[in-house]
Amino acid sequence: MKHIEKGVSLRHAPRDFVRDLNVDNASTGLVAGILGLSVGVVHISAGTSAGLDSSFIMIWVISYLMINGLFGLFVPAYYRLPLPMANSIPGALMFAAVIPVVGLEAALGASLIAGAISLVAGLTGVMGMVMRLIPMPIVMGMVGGMLLSFGLKMVSPLEGAIVPAAIMILAFFISARLFRKIPPLVVSMAAGLAYLMVTGVDLSGVEATIRFPEFIMPEFTLSAFLTYGLPLAIILVGMETPAGVGLVKGMGYKDVPANGITAVGGVGTMVSAFFNLHSTCIAAPMTGICSSPEAGTHDKRWVAAVIAGAIFVVGAPFYGYVVSLLEATPGYFISIIAGLALMRVITSAMSIAFAGKKHEMGALFAFLIAASGIQILGIGATFWALVLGVVVSMIFETKDFDFLLETSKKRDAPESTG
Amino acid sequence: MQLLKDASIPAVTAGFVAVLVSYSGPLAIFFQAAQSADISSAMMTSWVWAISIGAAVSGILLSIWLKVPVVTAWSAPGTALLVTLFPELSLNEAVGAYLVAAAVIFTIGITGSFDRIIQMIPPGIASAMMAGILFQFGVGVFVSLQSVPALAIGMIFAYLVFKRLTPRYSLVLLLVVGVMLAVGLEGASLKGVSVQLAEPQFIRPEWTWSATLSLAMPLVLVSLTGQFLPGMAIMRTSGYTTRAKPIVVVTSAVSFFTAFFGGITTAIAAITAAICTSKEAHEDPEKRYVAGVANGFFYLIGGICAGTIVALFTSLPGEFVAILAGLALIGAITSNISAFAAEKSHLEASVITFIATASGVNFLGLGSAFWGVVVGALAYNLLHRRFR
Repeated sequence: MKHIEKGVSLRHAPRDFVRDLNVDNASTGLVAGILGLSVGVVHISAGTSAGLDSSFIMIWVISYLMINGLFGLFVPAYYRLPLPMANSIPGALMFAAVIPVVGLEAALGASLIAGAISLVAGLTGVMGMVMRLIPMPIVMGMVGGMLLSFGLKMVSPLEGAIVPAAIMILAFFISARLFRKIPPLVVSMAAGLAYLMVTGVDLSGVEATIRFPEFIMPEFTLSAFLTYGLPLAIILVGMETPAGVGLVKGMGYKDVPANGITAVGGVGTMVSAFFNLHSTCIAAPMTGICSSPEAGTHDKRWVAAVIAGAIFVVGAPFYGYVVSLLEATPGYFISIIAGLALMRVITSAMSIAFAGKKHEMGALFAFLIAASGIQILGIGATFWALVLGVVVSMIFETKDFDFLLETSKKRDAPESTG
Repeated sequence: MQLLKDASIPAVTAGFVAVLVSYSGPLAIFFQAAQSADISSAMMTSWVWAISIGAAVSGILLSIWLKVPVVTAWSAPGTALLVTLFPELSLNEAVGAYLVAAAVIFTIGITGSFDRIIQMIPPGIASAMMAGILFQFGVGVFVSLQSVPALAIGMIFAYLVFKRLTPRYSLVLLLVVGVMLAVGLEGASLKGVSVQLAEPQFIRPEWTWSATLSLAMPLVLVSLTGQFLPGMAIMRTSGYTTRAKPIVVVTSAVSFFTAFFGGITTAIAAITAAICTSKEAHEDPEKRYVAGVANGFFYLIGGICAGTIVALFTSLPGEFVAILAGLALIGAITSNISAFAAEKSHLEASVITFIATASGVNFLGLGSAFWGVVVGALAYNLLHRRFR
């Protein structure tokens, strides 16, 4: 346990929460919470395009908000840092894609193992090792390719819906430009719903339901682990955690509990596996909002993250309404929203994969293979993307590996003494 | 002679591969158009003759004149447009529309407005569109892994080994090994191929409003945005600062004559140009024009033997061609993706362009490359541009 960083304590957290609460962190927490809620659309669209039934999609999204939200209450409160918790979007897409192939229980079993790997990585502090073996550009090439194959599916339904597509996309761009506090996705969704109402789409079938997460027993299979569990573990340890930690550090926080976050994410993911959910981890986009200067002074920004978590927990049982609402809308509606939501994630994945000029070839192979969605020997494209990406990079870009080895040694040195 | 002194095996091979790729992929769309128009094989031979001669004459002329590798080809998005228009459209009307399109493009070229259009487009957007067009070719390699695993693994492995050992001759060697694998593993037979000279057939043009609106105008748009724009973008990315004017003028002038024999608009190549303008064609950019000349030369041969060329390429499995094309374009895909990923100032708009182009959607008869630019330019102006 010596690698796990100590936090402040949960004992006085409620009292301190009231003491530290102010307009700045309350409003940013609200923004982060709404952003997190709107990401549920990605789950719904990924689930729908993978052909999963709507009752499963509903409990999946509700578990996402409830379980991630509970962890999101305690982690920032314990560390007194802006560390909002949510789930991995690439993980969600892989999860939805793998269920029809291996079955739900096996997919959740793979999640459980991925969580265990993340927990062990946090306990032993081996984060750096993973990064050295599988370079970031290759991981991001794989993630980008997988996201893109989803993103491309979102474009074709627009052929018959140019007018609403134009309205919603324009609303997104304009709001991204003009409003800083409101997530553009929410504005775009509002514009789309307004269009639907004006054109007389029937939304009367929408009903409000209250649902809670449901328990399920995971199963273990090798192909589920290789296709989905292993890439998920690599994404959690090698991408989500470093991205979140990097953001918080970038905002001027010196001591960020990287191992603690990895371990908690591991435990969270293991718990998730029993409730139809694929992962729990630090949420980079929400972290960016909660840890920003807009959330007030440094020592009080943790409140924003707790508020985001609370919004998740409170919103979870009622999210069935959103699911039901989206199901009542025409197919293109959810495609546009999900496409816009994914666009930003694809942008950052491609930027990390290809802008660094390192492991370019490996990243491209990983990108193309993941985008092709092939399946060989019962194992999905994500696995082959990582394997072939690393092999190709070792053949062509041996230099980049040596360079990484040296810098990561330098980078690890001060951490191990601290 | 200067041309012979500068000639090199990689450059000639690049020219040959470019012709090979464009006969296999884009030509298939043209065949579909021919099927929907229900024309005879003699007429189809005339079409292939016309587009080949158009590409040959304009490519050789421009490459020698400008001393840069100008690869020309028929408008691939234009042929896609044809598929949807036949058989309602008559052959004579189609030729009339080709003539109108050639005249319009010639006017755009001679007035020099094309360079202005190009300069208005941010660099990231142009690279993103190119990457989007090439993307499917790259993915095609790995999709083939499922249908023909042995051939695909063999060719990918051969590509990696040759690329590592002799990057310069990797394409030649890949071609040789690939054909051997195709014959050995997939049982491809080259026996049914015989040499026959093509006979061009004259088609009387007929002008109608409907053909002008539904074929000629879209043809101009897709040729400009789907061929000339990415084609010029490739030249720019490869470091050539050639102006578009001579290229637009010569190709459209040539198109005017080939139209009478069923040849759709000739333009600068979008898909195959990268093969001849990249380092693979020659280390020295000054000597890559040989690849352009070679490309034209092989089109000339292809045109003369138009009947043969069809039989030849249909005898090799489609996957072989897909894998070869994809692997040949790996370098171009990488450089275009890195180019737009490095343009941080308008990255989001570039990614939008990339996604829209790669999606291959077809709105209102206009291809995804066109829409990629439209949506990308919109995103660029709304998200990134600084207004005073």
